[in-house]
Amino acid sequence: MNKWRNIIKTVTYSILMLFVVNGFAQNDKLNRAQQLLQAKNADQAKLAIDSVIVHPETKGDYVSWTTRAYIYFEIYKRADKQKLNSALRDTIVSSLKRSNALKPDETFAVNNKKLMSNLAANYFNLSKTLLMDSINYSRSLIAFNKFKEYYSLTEPTTNFAARDIEYYLAVGSLYSDIFNRDNKNTNAQEIAKLALLKVLDTQPENPSANINLGIMYYNQAVNLGKGLDYGADFNQIDVVQENIVKLAKQAEQFIIKVYKIDNKNVKAVEALHSIYKMLNEKAKEEDFKKKCKELNIKLD
Amino acid sequence: MISLRFQQPSNYDTNSKIKAVFLYNFTRYFEWSDKKKAGNFVIYVVGKNDNLITELKTLASKKKVGNQDIEVKNSFVFDAAVQAQIIYLLPDVSKSIADVTSKSKSKSTLVVAESPNACKTGSSINFVIVENKLKFEYNKTNAVKAGLKTNDDFKALAINVE
Repeated sequence: MNKWRNIIKTVTYSILMLFVVNGFAQNDKLNRAQQLLQAKNADQAKLAIDSVIVHPETKGDYVSWTTRAYIYFEIYKRADKQKLNSALRDTIVSSLKRSNALKPDETFAVNNKKLMSNLAANYFNLSKTLLMDSINYSRSLIAFNKFKEYYSLTEPTTNFAARDIEYYLAVGSLYSDIFNRDNKNTNAQEIAKLALLKVLDTQPENPSANINLGIMYYNQAVNLGKGLDYGADFNQIDVVQENIVKLAKQAEQFIIKVYKIDNKNVKAVEALHSIYKMLNEKAKEEDFKKKCKELNIKLD
Repeated sequence: MISLRFQQPSNYDTNSKIKAVFLYNFTRYFEWSDKKKAGNFVIYVVGKNDNLITELKTLASKKKVGNQDIEVKNSFVFDAAVQAQIIYLLPDVSKSIADVTSKSKSKSTLVVAESPNACKTGSSINFVIVENKLKFEYNKTNAVKAGLKTNDDFKALAINVE
């Protein structure tokens, strides 16, 4: 009986020891992962940390998750920074979220925030690159929205109005430029219009959006005139004129808003001169011709 | 920061294009004398409008009137020696409408102007602005006096001034 008692006692003790040792082993693995990270050996660190975060002893520790985020970040920087979709980035974000959910101390909370801000900034830069270099609005927009989503995780009360305006103005000016160079590209025209109208939703008097939108309508009217065949009959001329007038009046609505706020806005004055010329409004055309002269605007 | 580009309004003159297309259309509704059916079809513009001249020259390079090539001539003052099928008097020479029409009488020349009351002072056709659009007045009597055979369908398209 005593013998059995001793065996049970020994086994129980051994199991307990195993748990403790294993726990120590997991902490060792965490330390090892951190050391590997510091030694810039992220690939080995990744193997170590991936076992740490699944172990019952360490999976509830925010240190494990923040460490994991930083290890994955090292690999991400190397390979995935320019990718719109990255499993590494997703792992970093989920690790940071997990760490934050485990109520980290101030130091870890600050580090989590820094890393999330960094990812957000990467997305912003990516949205810029996709827009300006690749002219890929749909992918750029995904990146831009991700930037806002990630930045909101660090600063939940952030107001993105200024960033939205900056972004959509850039989209609007880029795509209206594309449309002006190729008036058959109605997709570019639509993207530009929607982007600039989005700016005006937030800031109805934004001068850049109003001017770019107005000029886009004006140039669209010009393109209708350019496209009119010399052999067109009177009915066709009438239809084209009708549409030119409609577009010119739409253009006027946007530009005049800017002019009313700042009657020395060079772009507005120049555009209004062109619009009134197109609309055959001689008195206004002459009036804006004088204003152009006063503002040293050269007219062709 | 993402860079922002301002768009530039195009300096293309749509009204000059429309006038050129109108002028070409006018040629379908009148019949010139046999003498004027030979040689080039001359559109003589009197006054200054560089955009219009450019448009008419483009028109001339692309279209013909019947079998006649179109030729564009331009001077700042009226030269009676120029033999033209159409004389287009720009607003800066509007004072010379009566003079030009009297000198072109019976010469099978269509006089087109763009100034108030031009059809009452001798022009056959006068461009006017109605609700921001270019339209034209027509005086059939002046066209007949100018020695042109007219088409009644044309009256229906114009603002008639007699």
